[in-house]
Amino acid sequence: MKRLLIFPIVFAALLVPVAVLASGSGGFDGVVSSIESRYHVQATRIPFMGVVSAIARTATQNGVGNMHVAEFEHFIEPVDGNELNRMVEQKLGPDWNRMIRETSRHGNEQTLIFVHPEGNRMGMFIVNLDGHELDVVQLSVDPDQLNKQLGQYEHHPRENAKDENAAE
Amino acid sequence: MKNRIIAFIFAAVALAMPALAQTAQLPAPSPIEKELAARASNVSEVTLDKNTLAFASRFMNGKDKDKDTTKQLIDGLEGIYVRDYEFDKEGQFTTEQIEQLRTYYARGEWSSIVRERDRKTGESTDVMVKVANGKTVGMFILDVEPKEVSIVLILGPIRMEDLNKLKNISGLDALSGVEIKTKDKEKKDGEQ
Repeated sequence: MKRLLIFPIVFAALLVPVAVLASGSGGFDGVVSSIESRYHVQATRIPFMGVVSAIARTATQNGVGNMHVAEFEHFIEPVDGNELNRMVEQKLGPDWNRMIRETSRHGNEQTLIFVHPEGNRMGMFIVNLDGHELDVVQLSVDPDQLNKQLGQYEHHPRENAKDENAAE
Repeated sequence: MKNRIIAFIFAAVALAMPALAQTAQLPAPSPIEKELAARASNVSEVTLDKNTLAFASRFMNGKDKDKDTTKQLIDGLEGIYVRDYEFDKEGQFTTEQIEQLRTYYARGEWSSIVRERDRKTGESTDVMVKVANGKTVGMFILDVEPKEVSIVLILGPIRMEDLNKLKNISGLDALSGVEIKTKDKEKKDGEQ
């Protein structure tokens, strides 16, 4: 009986990767691999990105996390803004909404910013082409926490005036 | 008991329907925009729905008074839709296409507050507002220059003087130009 049970388990285990491959990977990796195959370029991935992301998360007290970065240097092929947009939209899926799109036909400049609510946080997906360099960045942001962090560095005119008076 | 629960659910749904109907949604892009985008050398598109605006407003929790007023303004808005098409040369769009754009976005309850036409240059500015129960609940701006078309649609309570507050949000800096233009127009009208 035990032997009989092994067959369906092995069969299911073999089926899962096939199904995943058939459906095509989405998200960050899906976008990066689509760009690689369409424009014949190789992404430079930052080593230990998981560690970098964890450090960023700790440093910003959970303000920024889940970071993924891929950089394409020597991006020579011309980019059709509509095609790039379609490709990214397709790989990200309907849960992501495009917030900003800027496209310039002559300067080879493209910017796409997609957002996706994640409870209290907001997922952001950025594709930016500037000349011969294309960057793909994904991150998750907690606005409240990030705002608190940024607030520490804000100086108000009154406080500055107080500081200056004290110095005098 | 079952009937009461069903009646209660129906009543709740009936009460919720007008509230749901009042929630304005950003429209789908007009087919004309695809044609404009295909010919434009530079295209800028900003689409901020209620969720994204709520996200942006959370960045404005500070001691700054300006930020606070902008936050209050953003919190009340249902959506912002901005499109800007820049062309290399003149004659990339027709007056009919511009008219179609105007009627696509501002049909029905919209009324014009600024309408400016320059026959020599072909420039035009339209500012239209949607009013419900005596309050402005939407603003549509269509600014046309020989080599540029700008569309701004803001849904929610908005006033002309509020445009300046929104220009600091990424992608919305074009709003300051519209505000200056409309102020000039109001000034000219006042002098006449």
